[in-house]
Amino acid sequence: MDPKDLSRRNFLIRAGATAAAIPTLSAILDACTKPGATISGSSAFQIARPDNPVTLPMNGEPIATDTPIEQGATLEILNWSVYMWKYVLNQFIQQQSGNGIKFSGISTFNNMDEGVQKLQSGKVKADVFFPTIDVLGKLVAADLLQPLNHDLIPALQQDNWAAFQNPYYDQEWRYSVPYTIYTTGIGYRRDIIHDDVIHGMDNPWSILWDPQYKGQIGVYPSYRDVMAIALMKNGITDLNTGQDADLEKVRTDLLAMIDATSPLIAYDAAYNKLPKGKFAAVTAWSGDIVAAWGYNPPYTQSAYQNVGYWFPADRKGPIDNDLIAIPKNAEHPRLAHEFINYWIAFKNAMNNFSWNGYQPPQTKADVNALTHEQGLYSKQSSSWAAPTPYVGPWQPDAAVRESDFPIGYREGPLPADVDDRWHEIWSEFQAGVGQ
Amino acid sequence: MSESVLTARTEPISRARRGFVRRWLGNPWRKPTILATVTWVYLAWSLIPLVVAIAVSFNVSRSISSVNPFSLHWWWSDPIDSLYHDPELHTAVIQSLKLSVTTMVIAVPLGVAFALGIDRWHGRPATGVNFVMLLSFVMPEIILGLSLFFVFSFVLKSVPLGTPAQILGLVTFQISYPVIIVRARLLTIGKDYEEAAMDLGATPKQSIRAVLLPMLYPAILASAAIVFADTIDDFVTVRYLSGPASSEPLSVKIYGAARAEPTPAVNAAATFMLLATLIVAALAYILYRVVTKGQRGGGVTDLATQF
Amino acid sequence: MSVSSEAQPVRRRRPRRARAVDERVHYSRWFWPSFTIPATIWLAILFILPLYTVVSIAFGTVDPIFRNALPVYEPWWWSGEQFGRVLHDSFGFYRNVYIHTFEYVIVASAICLVLSYAVAYYVARYGGKRKALLLVLLIAPFFISYLMRMLAWINLLDTNGYVNKVMSFLHLTSHPVDWLGGRPFTVVMGLVYGYIPYMILPLYAFLDRIDPNLLEAGRDLGAGPARTFFRVTLPLSRPGILAALVIVSLPMFGDYYTQNLLSGSPKTTMLGNLIDEAVNSTGQGPKAAVFVLILMILVLIPMLYYMRSTARSLTTR
Repeated sequence: MDPKDLSRRNFLIRAGATAAAIPTLSAILDACTKPGATISGSSAFQIARPDNPVTLPMNGEPIATDTPIEQGATLEILNWSVYMWKYVLNQFIQQQSGNGIKFSGISTFNNMDEGVQKLQSGKVKADVFFPTIDVLGKLVAADLLQPLNHDLIPALQQDNWAAFQNPYYDQEWRYSVPYTIYTTGIGYRRDIIHDDVIHGMDNPWSILWDPQYKGQIGVYPSYRDVMAIALMKNGITDLNTGQDADLEKVRTDLLAMIDATSPLIAYDAAYNKLPKGKFAAVTAWSGDIVAAWGYNPPYTQSAYQNVGYWFPADRKGPIDNDLIAIPKNAEHPRLAHEFINYWIAFKNAMNNFSWNGYQPPQTKADVNALTHEQGLYSKQSSSWAAPTPYVGPWQPDAAVRESDFPIGYREGPLPADVDDRWHEIWSEFQAGVGQ
Repeated sequence: MSESVLTARTEPISRARRGFVRRWLGNPWRKPTILATVTWVYLAWSLIPLVVAIAVSFNVSRSISSVNPFSLHWWWSDPIDSLYHDPELHTAVIQSLKLSVTTMVIAVPLGVAFALGIDRWHGRPATGVNFVMLLSFVMPEIILGLSLFFVFSFVLKSVPLGTPAQILGLVTFQISYPVIIVRARLLTIGKDYEEAAMDLGATPKQSIRAVLLPMLYPAILASAAIVFADTIDDFVTVRYLSGPASSEPLSVKIYGAARAEPTPAVNAAATFMLLATLIVAALAYILYRVVTKGQRGGGVTDLATQF
Repeated sequence: MSVSSEAQPVRRRRPRRARAVDERVHYSRWFWPSFTIPATIWLAILFILPLYTVVSIAFGTVDPIFRNALPVYEPWWWSGEQFGRVLHDSFGFYRNVYIHTFEYVIVASAICLVLSYAVAYYVARYGGKRKALLLVLLIAPFFISYLMRMLAWINLLDTNGYVNKVMSFLHLTSHPVDWLGGRPFTVVMGLVYGYIPYMILPLYAFLDRIDPNLLEAGRDLGAGPARTFFRVTLPLSRPGILAALVIVSLPMFGDYYTQNLLSGSPKTTMLGNLIDEAVNSTGQGPKAAVFVLILMILVLIPMLYYMRSTARSLTTR
């Protein structure tokens, strides 16, 4: 070797390079096998359907009944935005103040994909999470939820409807409790589209494609719901279909919608933009329409009555419920159980309903009385808003009954490759093709 | 006869009128009215919306599209939604301040040290390191924010998403600002003062501390102020690296609220942040004037050239 | 004799050190480079490594349940599948998104340029006594949250907002215009509003440095104001213009929040939105990584130009 090469500088450089290479050598040895899809948990999660109920596998034991409530805890909630009334939350915080509870806000998401993403990436170590049925199986298969201790949530059996006593998607309620119930239909401005017009149509689902309302159509950023409406428009009642023919129809219809009506995507399309007159017709969850009065200046009776809801008269349409679950990595599981029990108790559930519009499946609530009983939020808003019952009598279709569930169509989990195809179609729609 | 009188009377006038515009355009010492108008119209366009936004925070009603003064309802009266009572807005404001101060404290010394070193170091490794620093300066923030999100999710998993990740990410993004500003200043200072100090017997370390650093104080201050201002309303990076709700600074809260139905409380929070930033900027400017007494390079006009 | 006795103490007072970087100044070789070490290590771990991670994800695989990204760090296992799929879609249904992005960025940059040049020129040349005040007003937007400025516009552009009120007062429109409903005009003006402060100040700094004597010379030689401008000022300010254009267009390419705040429509989707949407859903991690790489490739040339001009401005007076 040339003496020049042995100079101190060269030696340091070589030594440094070797030192850096040593870890990579072992990594190389590790990497001799092709990286594959090895993940923890069972890779095949069960697809739950109403006629194929699923008992989810237990990922460990629920916390013991005598676990004390965590002291000085900061309650972390991961939920849809605009879904929980701060007033009811504050009451819970005050009730738990003896345990030094702290609260600094809800972590929110605007669609389920985002929510699961936030949970999975560890971005949010939530104590309580509000999934939908279609992702429940996946979350359990990926070991992201912990089983519930039912002794700590007595309100579940006491207050909830029989239809939810042993749901098909989570037999024995191992991981979830039902939160709110809702149908997916069409929200519309009764002053632009008269009730008779939409009720008289052969296929009211197709109003979102009517060029007469170009520029006045809004859709949710939720791929399952918007594509479900496209399926309903085509008379396809399997909202979990993986059939090529069905998906192709949905795809062409969605692209046609862009040409026909230039829809806008907004998560507040129904409860906020529709009452403000930005849209004439929107995809709508019943709860959003019920809550629209609170976003409808000048908050008078006549303003409220401009917002209507359409759902098939035979009650055969998309219907679902949301869930509350506790993530595996929750830092305060005992507090989480306490919270769930509080939140699904009759009084609190109804108060929350008066604000967010989403009905809870409460046995003590008389569904027929909802159109003439006033909720707490309406009472509290008397200084700036005209009074209104839980559900306006001009939106009767928005109330959900127990009898709707056996005949309605449920959105369930999709196998991964089918889900991929649904996401592809949705991406294409989002990219605004075909203008 | 009458025709010629008419034409004789009108001709000079119209010629003069035509000539007026041409003369006006051709006068090199005229006042720049067009440019002046454009400038003042631009300033109005730039700042009036802010005045409206601040005024909305003092609205009596919930409306955000019109101004109806005057009420402190959204500042502290409302028991749930006001800035004073809403824990979400509190935490957001505190988080913004926390992030900016911490980032400033870490990024400025790192950047200044780097600037000093790279200015006097020549050779290929220096060029390489300089390249990386410049690359971090020009890279669009979304690339930086996302790549950091990926690294904290997949590689450096021990760093939790939330405040720690946000600080690390923000410093990475901001570290190039002090470098650029200090280097620009070093360029104008030159090596003469240090050499003079060393000819008079100072060691290198002493000459830096006693001579170079004091001359750099204006640049260091300016870069600290810029890092603070840039971080306090940073949005892309902190949003991707945020964790629990308590780690979302005000910019993320505004973004979330703006697309929904924001109450004027959001405007109140933003106005509060604005006040805080202006106070810090004013303090920094006062310090700047104090420190640059006797140096050329003080004053607003020179500060502006640092951008 | 006397000369040599004087010479010796001088030599002893200057101790010899190791080979210096600068000849006249006595530092050890590693003195200055050592200053750069903390920042370099920081950037290596938190800048270079993340970029490598992005590449690893873009060329990696997915997990079977959630279709999340599984990064592959060893280059020989890299698979072009994800990249290929996104590239294929980019020429397919994402084509319009790219076209929009370029359209909006070019138009917004052009508007920014014309407006900022006018303002910067005015302040630099005719500022006079009011220069300090004007500069403070121009610097102010830096200290005001970008989001607060956008929030202000959302307030104003609301269907019942002041813009519509003024327009109907001046009888410019017969009914309220829906500004926030997916109009490219709103998005472009939003971009201009948001990024123009970043252009004005560098342009001002540059124009300020132009020697007024050159302009006087032009006038003395008989050129009117217009000719002086086109023959003297504009050519002199060309590097400044290019640099300012790059400063402003680079972040615009990756912008997604302006579009989200001022519009909601798929029709005005920009490349940044594709990235953001991909990150926020499960199973789209690789897609987001690929889009990030594509964005980097698209802005590579302006980035390199910007780096070079900055480097040059830091080493030459």
